[in-house]
Amino acid sequence: MTILRMAALAASTLVLTAGLAVANDYPSQPIEVVTHASAGGGTDTTARTLLIRARRELKVDAFVQIKKGGGGTVAMSYAAGKPADGHTLMAITPTHLITMARGRAPISIDDIKGVVRSTDDPIIVVVNKKSGIGSLDDLKSISEKAPIKWGGTQAGGIDHIAAITFSKKSGIKLAYVPFDGGGAMITNLMGGNIQAAGLNYGEAVDGIESGDFVPLAVMADKRLAALPDTPTLAELGIDGVNFSTVRGIIVMADTPDERVAVLEEKLLKAMSHGTYQAYLSGIGLDASSVGDAQEWDAQIRSMYANIYDTLEELGLRK
Amino acid sequence: MEIVLGGLLEILQPQTLLLICVGTVVGVLVGALPGLSSSMAVALLLPFTIYLEPIPAIAMLAALYCAGTFGGSITAILINAPGAPPAAATAFDGYPLAKNGQAGRALGMAAAASVVGGIFSLFVLILAAPFLATVAYRFGPPEYFALTIFGLSMLASISGKSAVKNLIGGAFGVLLATVGVDLTTGVERFTFGVPELYEGISFIPVLIGLFAMAELLDQAGQKDRPLERFSMSALKLPTLDDFRRVWKTILRSSGIGTFVGILPAEGSTVAAMIGYNEAKRWSKNKDNFGKGEIEGVAGPEAANNAATGGAMVPTLALGIPGSATAAVILGGLQIHGLRPGPYLFENQPNLLYAIFFAMLLANLVFLGLGLVGARYFSRISLIPRQFLWPAVFCLCVVGAYGVGQSLNDVYIMLIAGFVGYFLNRAGFSPAPIIMGLVLGHMVENSLAQSMILFDQDAWRFLTRPIAVFFFILAALSIVSTPLGTFIRTRRREEADRLAHGNE
Repeated sequence: MTILRMAALAASTLVLTAGLAVANDYPSQPIEVVTHASAGGGTDTTARTLLIRARRELKVDAFVQIKKGGGGTVAMSYAAGKPADGHTLMAITPTHLITMARGRAPISIDDIKGVVRSTDDPIIVVVNKKSGIGSLDDLKSISEKAPIKWGGTQAGGIDHIAAITFSKKSGIKLAYVPFDGGGAMITNLMGGNIQAAGLNYGEAVDGIESGDFVPLAVMADKRLAALPDTPTLAELGIDGVNFSTVRGIIVMADTPDERVAVLEEKLLKAMSHGTYQAYLSGIGLDASSVGDAQEWDAQIRSMYANIYDTLEELGLRK
Repeated sequence: MEIVLGGLLEILQPQTLLLICVGTVVGVLVGALPGLSSSMAVALLLPFTIYLEPIPAIAMLAALYCAGTFGGSITAILINAPGAPPAAATAFDGYPLAKNGQAGRALGMAAAASVVGGIFSLFVLILAAPFLATVAYRFGPPEYFALTIFGLSMLASISGKSAVKNLIGGAFGVLLATVGVDLTTGVERFTFGVPELYEGISFIPVLIGLFAMAELLDQAGQKDRPLERFSMSALKLPTLDDFRRVWKTILRSSGIGTFVGILPAEGSTVAAMIGYNEAKRWSKNKDNFGKGEIEGVAGPEAANNAATGGAMVPTLALGIPGSATAAVILGGLQIHGLRPGPYLFENQPNLLYAIFFAMLLANLVFLGLGLVGARYFSRISLIPRQFLWPAVFCLCVVGAYGVGQSLNDVYIMLIAGFVGYFLNRAGFSPAPIIMGLVLGHMVENSLAQSMILFDQDAWRFLTRPIAVFFFILAALSIVSTPLGTFIRTRRREEADRLAHGNE
């Protein structure tokens, strides 16, 4: 065991030295990860857990720099003001994309480049079992009488956009009830104040396993490994509703490609370590959450397009 | 019972005990410094706990959480700068006590009340955690709305100053709470295009400004007044007589705190506010509140520490954090690959009880720390003011900056300080403003949520028994003061009439 670990360490050191030679002594200074959310939240915890191994892989110190405010605006201005030399990374979420799409961000979608995806948590359509709803058809017929009370977070946020898009494409009438956070959504779904909600797997899993919640569909291309019996919306004939709470690392678009490649390789390696994997399983996710630069960059852009259109229709774009 | 003892055994390891003590001491220090909150400290410690076993790791974080809530009262009492938001209500009477040369008495009472509150809530939890957890489900937006209305019902009488001014202050606080993107519509309000105001005005800079900064300006205005000689009475601890007077308040607040803590997303600050309100309502010395009443320290302190225990119930039993710090501790469990929720109760009962015992131990450790420390901390109030207040100014700036690491918060603190200074001179008290700011978000959001749930039909509030119960309490609370005055005048008139009749 120990010998194996030492061998792995030696191997990684070798790879690292090789990488360093290519990228011109990069990284040469401490790496800074700019976040927009308060210490201890999901984004902060994800970034910190990722950095535990990333420090070793990159052979430099790495730290989280919190720049709160303005739906990511403050963080984006800060990151944009730093040299694009690969020493300043930013952890982004759909919030940043929404701020960009609303026209309030100091940078646009073309100014950023995806490096790695760290978590990917699709939104699942969940109902309370006691509501007697067992399928999307039930949901639709009940919504004819009175709109379904659907729980989510901040109006104008990703949950809201997902709910509106879902409602539009499925014809199910929704009354969107915004809550302060996931916790309040779950308690209210459990207590029967709302009939349905768009929840992440980690939020819904206890309720699903105890039989109180019924997952109706997943807002993703593929079924979730953890919920093999729950269909995707596309399988149920509702296309183009892919939403998830994703978090990932980006750099400014001017950052040299070979440095992005080094970062991608090291960060992917850091996330394959047991420490990060244990964290993922703690929040109900698995290794498929981690994505490389190509996948993540494409995802940012398609999500941005979706958000842009919905905000336009909601009249929330400036 | 076996499980409970199993949990105790998990804690009684030298390494775990040491970590709990470290967590407690760090918690008290972090709590005492304005701007360093216990949630931040827990977040920063999280990555280090990876190298520990889950139980010692979580035990340390839980101990830090408990102690942090107590620590906030130290600076609230000594320099009117609540080290943490839950201690805001402690400053209402704690600081006047310190000003009257009774810092030690206030600090000692804060420590004792905190410990009783903390231990009370932990015993309730150990006995009834799985059952209590379901209480959280019974509280939807309509119930929260009614609860906050009850909280706000004491607004007019929260400080001894004029009722009208208290209401104006409260309305101002609620107005401040509306700044930022509205939760239920996504519309920006009062942001004037400044991105920094997009997420609203954070509570801590306003708190530090209204209390500590305003007091500092006030002290600066008294520069040419001769310095009074301080009596060493400041170092005296509370007497047995004090405890005899406040035990009812402490018990009441412990109950309130445990209950409010259990409600998800409520937290210690609201618990402390309600604890203070109720201490005042049931006190014989109502008029002394705000001027340095020892019950006004015991009430909020017992409540906010009871709430820390309460907050752990939904966090562990349902996986729904009961407060900001509890949310970070939840993150800690996840880093260790543990999933909080009903399954934790079934699969890892040891861990659960170990956490409760860790918090219990933390309470005992900071009782010692608090009582012994009170003698030393209270010396701060003996420092001549020309040395003390400039130092406090540094703390104010650092404290305001520390929360969001943003200079804007420092500006907000300075503005709040000037506003607070002039409001004080005009006869307004900061207490109702803070209360409006704390409860403003909740009262507005829960009303908007309720109306969506009720299809915009307000009468349907009457279909919710718990909400109706709190509405009735609120109504009683509003009419009780004028009614009491009315009855008293009537009695006096009666007595006068009888006296005259005898003549």
